[in-house]
Amino acid sequence: MEQTAEIQRHIAFHLTGAPGGDLEPVDSAVRPALLAPYRELAALRYDYPVVLVDDATDEACICSLTALVDDLLREGAPRGVEGEGVRRDVFRAEREIRRLVAEGERGTLSDVWARAAPALADAADHLKVDGALADCDHELARRVVAHAWHSVQRDKARRFHADVDRLVQALSDILRAAFVDSEPGRRPESLQAAFGSLHRDQFDFDTMSRLLSRSAPRDELPPDRRHRIESALEVLRRQRFFDPAPGTTLAQSAEPPFEYRYSSCRAAVEAFRERLPAVVEFVKAMSIAELEADGRYVGSQHDAFFEAFDENSLSRDDLARFPDYLVCVQGDESGAVIDLLSSGLPVKVLVETEDLLAPEHFGVHLRSTQLASTVIGLIDVFAFQATSSSLYQLREHLLAGLRYAGPTLVSVFSGPAAPSSDLPPYLLSAAALEGRAFPAFTYDPQAGPDLALRFTVDENPQAELDWPLAPLEYADASLQRVVEQIPFTLVDFAVCDRRYARHFARIPPEHWSDETVPVDQWLALDPADAEARVPHVLVVDDNDRLERLIVDARLMHAARRCRELWHGLQELGLAHLRVEPAPVHEAPSEAVEEAVQEAVAEAPEQTVVEAPAADDPWIETPRCSTCNECTGINDRMFAYNDNKQAYIKDPDAGTFRDLVEAAESCQVAVIHPGKPRNPSEPGLEELVERAKGFH
Amino acid sequence: MTPLLRQCLLHLAEDHHSLEDYEGGVPRWCNGCGDNAILAAVQRLCRGEDLSLEHTVFVSGIGCSSRFPHYMGTYGFHGIHGRAFPIAEGIKMARPELNVFVNTGDGDCCSIGAAHWIHAIRYNMNLTVLLHDNFVYGLTKKQASPTSPKGLRSNTTPRGSYLDALNPLSVTLGVQSASFVAQAVDWIPQVLYDIIAAAHRHRGFSFVRVIQRCPEFMPGMLDPWLQDPSKTLLLTHENGLQLSPELARIYKNHREHDPLDIDAARRLACTDEEIPVGILYRNPEVPCYEELRGAGQARPADRIRASLEAELDKFTVWPASDERAAA
Repeated sequence: MEQTAEIQRHIAFHLTGAPGGDLEPVDSAVRPALLAPYRELAALRYDYPVVLVDDATDEACICSLTALVDDLLREGAPRGVEGEGVRRDVFRAEREIRRLVAEGERGTLSDVWARAAPALADAADHLKVDGALADCDHELARRVVAHAWHSVQRDKARRFHADVDRLVQALSDILRAAFVDSEPGRRPESLQAAFGSLHRDQFDFDTMSRLLSRSAPRDELPPDRRHRIESALEVLRRQRFFDPAPGTTLAQSAEPPFEYRYSSCRAAVEAFRERLPAVVEFVKAMSIAELEADGRYVGSQHDAFFEAFDENSLSRDDLARFPDYLVCVQGDESGAVIDLLSSGLPVKVLVETEDLLAPEHFGVHLRSTQLASTVIGLIDVFAFQATSSSLYQLREHLLAGLRYAGPTLVSVFSGPAAPSSDLPPYLLSAAALEGRAFPAFTYDPQAGPDLALRFTVDENPQAELDWPLAPLEYADASLQRVVEQIPFTLVDFAVCDRRYARHFARIPPEHWSDETVPVDQWLALDPADAEARVPHVLVVDDNDRLERLIVDARLMHAARRCRELWHGLQELGLAHLRVEPAPVHEAPSEAVEEAVQEAVAEAPEQTVVEAPAADDPWIETPRCSTCNECTGINDRMFAYNDNKQAYIKDPDAGTFRDLVEAAESCQVAVIHPGKPRNPSEPGLEELVERAKGFH
Repeated sequence: MTPLLRQCLLHLAEDHHSLEDYEGGVPRWCNGCGDNAILAAVQRLCRGEDLSLEHTVFVSGIGCSSRFPHYMGTYGFHGIHGRAFPIAEGIKMARPELNVFVNTGDGDCCSIGAAHWIHAIRYNMNLTVLLHDNFVYGLTKKQASPTSPKGLRSNTTPRGSYLDALNPLSVTLGVQSASFVAQAVDWIPQVLYDIIAAAHRHRGFSFVRVIQRCPEFMPGMLDPWLQDPSKTLLLTHENGLQLSPELARIYKNHREHDPLDIDAARRLACTDEEIPVGILYRNPEVPCYEELRGAGQARPADRIRASLEAELDKFTVWPASDERAAA
């Protein structure tokens, strides 16, 4: 009877959230049972902190401290016992760095290393890279994305400057050559200036100037071409899109370079609109410069086109030459973000979500988690979603998104600025990923022709399951070792946050029964069966004692909703696992195509030899080796075709003797004189005899 | 405006060339000279590939064959004796996007230019090299060249040359980094064209030895091969030379040879009686020097000046340090 009353009270708490009876409120710190082993993160070697490496490109711009230390030891510490001492010292330094950074220490790796292990300063000298250290806290997303964006923009700037340098050089060369050919360029003082100083006194530049002016042809630039080239040069030189590259011919612009980082969507759009005329002018100048540099600018054809050149002439590839706008906003600007992304501007938008379970709209924070899924519908927007704990692992996806020539959304769960959990930010963030509260995924519009290739959720732990499973190992009441596979759910994530303690109630161990079921099993029950059961989640307290907490219905509703959303992502991202791909008729690869083209090109031309009339002279033209023997004898009778091979142009333009002599002198014996056309030609008998060998 | 339309407009002024566009001056070679056949084949290639005139350069040294650049309508550089290779390499380093051809004779390449030749093979820069081999110095009126047959009486060897001829094919195939070696003869124009075209498409140092007639100073020397097609061994392969039915009917002596097989190529290169014609060796994997060195970067005047200053500074004795030393 008493037991039934307990169960009724458990159900009552589940439905109403009102504790009573044996149920105790959760007022002390608890954590999900699966996170019990991770008490002291500084002692563990994991992905964080990371080093935001200076001047690196690609994935190397974000390095894990652990990976750097491993590299250092691999190269610096001898294998086996010999290197054990060094390894131990370096690991101790690594642990100390991790602790310092977790406590809020800031600085570069070399600085923090010097503070953490002054005695190991020599070892730090062997680190191949340096840069700011960043721990997995609520600022990480902003720092990592800004750093990766800088790295991508640096790469872009290098390509941009190479292009501009080349064009500036080519246009300058045209002007310089024109000057050398011009009247002023041939004046004695110009010649003297171009000569150098060593033997200057031994030359008579006046005489040289007179000689050059008389002899060399003058080919001055037409004024419109000069104007076009000078205008293009001016535009290229005073660009403000990237910092002027050191040591280039670009003039130091009087105006500072444009700013590309913004904290609101509207400011970014306004800046883009304001600079658009400058972009149009620059692209136009580059196109003109390309044509001029190649000598392909034809005024009659191109002038009209460039007169009408405006913002509608810009392609996405043109815009991709310029820096991307980086906009960092919080999750509550979703509407503006979607507007910005759908405009197709070259923007990279970082949306940070600090709080998934905000009390004002309890439940999974749908707006932020759905934002990334929503932009997939825009088709050509790169969408990348991750938690800050997974940013290091997924840095390749992040960089791909930042390099994408179009709008990109980077949605990151960065954790709350004000701690609401006893767990370190890394664990809270990892719990959001594990519990499917903030799943990671990537939508790359360029990755393939169908959704299965473009969309991936493979980065989530055990993506094929509803909830990831992990072994929980504990000692039971009789101190026997028990190992269970238990899932990590949204409810486990909620346990981490103190603000949700009211949704849980502790069941004293003596009242544990089979009437309560684990969260995942409860979610799998029929609604009718679920009404009679109460879900529980396993947690541990500060002393690592295992406890069961009853979960109230509101949180379970959120968990159910979260699972449904996850199913939606699975359907998109794991399509390739479930659907047998339709047989794809592979387009011939580039290599195969090239081979085919080469084969076609190399295939011998059809050697069509016209059938000669019985008595007419003829030449096996395809075998002619262009040696000029026959054309040297009579170039009206013998001529070259389009392939520069001989044929008989006019058999009556010469004598039979010409034909016979040509046949005799042709070393490849391809000339056949036929029969004489003029029976009265002198010496015909002898010639006919000589011609017999060539029939 | 779509990007496609814009590209079309930008490429509006692109030309398509006829063979005449590639013709320069009127050749002054003797009638019957094999150089004429090589010139015709090269001009056909330029037209076939529609090579832009201003992006194509012919570089030569000294000799009959080295007049070649004069007869092309493209850019050209008639260099000094034996130095065609370094000039071509310089052009390629400065302007890797250009189509660079080298025309060199047996004297120019195999004698005075031999050292440059060996290292040009090593560098494997993307050049198309045509060795016009007529076995004699023709421009200087019959002097023995390194490829002259043993016993040739010439102005420099009145009692006949004493040494066996140098074999340009086996030399080239013996140098590290050789990537394309072929042999053609001037009297089979179709094959000559095909081989030069394959050489041009190869990315690397494409060495084509063209055996050619010199009717003035070596008359009749090649008659046995001209008159008897069976003495010419055509090397065919799906990745090499392929014969038209017409040619296959005339030249019945052909053999399958895989251009990737360098050992077989070396054996063929040393064949005496028959003249092997075709692609002996082709390896597209050998890296090009200009790519290894990142050639073609813009060198504006101020950067060149800064680099020179930096170099010179290394050897400068600064007055200030003198003063300090004196103090």
